[in-house]
Amino acid sequence: MKKIISILVALSLVVGICLSLASCGSSADFTVGICQLTPHAALDAATQGFKDALEAELKKEGKTVEFKYQDAGNDIPTCSTIIGTFVSSSVDLILANATPVLQAAKSATNTIPILGTSITEYGVALELEGFDGVVGGNVSGTSDLAPLDEQAQMMIDILGLKEGAKVGLLYCSSEANSKYQVDVVSAYLESKGLVCTEYKFSDSNDLTTVATKAADESDAIYVPTDNSVADNTGIIYNVCSPKNVPVYAGEEGICSGCGFATLSISYYNIGKKTGEMAAKILLEKEDISTMEIQYDASPVKKYNKKICDELGIDTDALDALGYEKIVTED
Amino acid sequence: MDFINALPYSISQGLIWGIMAIGVYITYKILDIADLTVDGSLCTGGATFAVTYAAGVNIWLALLISLLVGSLAGLLTGILHTVFGIQPILAGILTQLILWSVNLTILGKANKPVSNSPIISMANILPTILWSLLFCTVIVGILYFFFGTEIGCSLRATGNNEKMSRAQGINVNFNKVLGLMISNGLVALSGALLSQYQGSADIKMGTGSIVIGLASIVIGTTIVSKISSNFAVQLIGTVLGAIIYYTIYQFVINLGLDANLLKMLSALIVAVFLAIPYCKSTYFSKKKVKKEGSQNAGN
Repeated sequence: MKKIISILVALSLVVGICLSLASCGSSADFTVGICQLTPHAALDAATQGFKDALEAELKKEGKTVEFKYQDAGNDIPTCSTIIGTFVSSSVDLILANATPVLQAAKSATNTIPILGTSITEYGVALELEGFDGVVGGNVSGTSDLAPLDEQAQMMIDILGLKEGAKVGLLYCSSEANSKYQVDVVSAYLESKGLVCTEYKFSDSNDLTTVATKAADESDAIYVPTDNSVADNTGIIYNVCSPKNVPVYAGEEGICSGCGFATLSISYYNIGKKTGEMAAKILLEKEDISTMEIQYDASPVKKYNKKICDELGIDTDALDALGYEKIVTED
Repeated sequence: MDFINALPYSISQGLIWGIMAIGVYITYKILDIADLTVDGSLCTGGATFAVTYAAGVNIWLALLISLLVGSLAGLLTGILHTVFGIQPILAGILTQLILWSVNLTILGKANKPVSNSPIISMANILPTILWSLLFCTVIVGILYFFFGTEIGCSLRATGNNEKMSRAQGINVNFNKVLGLMISNGLVALSGALLSQYQGSADIKMGTGSIVIGLASIVIGTTIVSKISSNFAVQLIGTVLGAIIYYTIYQFVINLGLDANLLKMLSALIVAVFLAIPYCKSTYFSKKKVKKEGSQNAGN
């Protein structure tokens, strides 16, 4: 019996080694490692945009690219493990989709070019003093920052919020980028005379309680581009809809789940921009240390028809203003 | 080929988590307490280090401060258990929840980058391995010495047989608190090193780390018990277990499996190693009892 087991173990080890050996040696001109923090609509769109754009750009020059894609299952130490895999297999470029991945990549290599995407503020993520748009070294990328004061103004305009109206800002305390967005939006809203209160939740377990408190105490709620919110729009909808509290979302994915309107950047577009940047770096047309962080130049105003109807917001007026309609399937 | 190239990363991660596993070993194996505080104290160590190092404090001092703050977390669990009589598992969970808020307060936000560490860095993997190896060696040495002293022995006695220890005049409550403090101090130190390795101290970095600690202990001690039951060998075995765990983890990631399955795979690795000694003794040992019975029946 022992002999059979030891033979089986030895065989599986051999098979394993063969598999990993087989995976080395690719026929493509370039290899790009993509590490995504967690699978959800916005990050997936950015990855897809990146792949499409990079393949297209390289095809023009007659080059091919192989992608190694891994997602970290929202586990921070796993980001380091995955990036370690990329670095040890000497990929030509790393796409870091989300802030913790960017931090892991930056600490793992000073030579392989790293492009970040779906990161709101590079200065905050990498704690850079006097950040002026260029990270330098081997890091650059695109940001998913939408014009936050335009979002705040949109909220005031559609809902007709007057001075003294109460706005609740709901976000996840364990999300690095949310606090930054909430700070900017509340500063703008307060400058217009509204009363802002922050409502923080730590994870999906206490989201219901915190959202209920926010809905009870606010005339309207703002949620930023927060991964935990994006994963749990159903909970927020179930809490706020019966109380008729409108929720303004920071991006389209959240808006289609629980928001009435948004000024959304397209994650696919910033992914595409990142892909174009990657092509320039791989084809050695540009030096990554001088490349500025890029943004989505044309965010689109959108509204969710179903939720607007429930809240009694005039959707014809929004159409007339040129807002795009998000139609959700029930 | 990729896998072989990635081995240095598994080894360095294994060594850093090995320190955490040694901490868990003290509570789990020696004191026989399932201490869930470690999910929180790992992040506490990382957070304290990130903040103090960024403020310009000398790196060794920052590491020491992280260790001390981590041991305070252990002190809290110990007090909840000994003074207030709360079950050790529950006390650990309560401290873990308290530490979530404490860690957020220390960090000031959800995530703080850590950079420019002269000792641990993924970019310079060989110095990282050497430094982590040095940390492990020094820690194993100190603990081996400590658990041979009178206090250390009384700690081991407390974990082995609490009632008998109390009967012998040992202050079991003091020992439990001391053990928890040492354990969480080591876990916090590991968290500080980990935050340098992964480039950030994140509020979520400790979640699920107890599983990794237990996995390392189980894998390591199963392998090493065949060689010797010497205490230092057990501790070295624990670090070895962490390295093996991360090597398997790296291998699985290299295979390109769906990341959703990673947590299940971690649990399966632990389950297999837990089951091996039991299966060996139950299903694969020769049945000596029946033979003796039939021999005696003849008399």
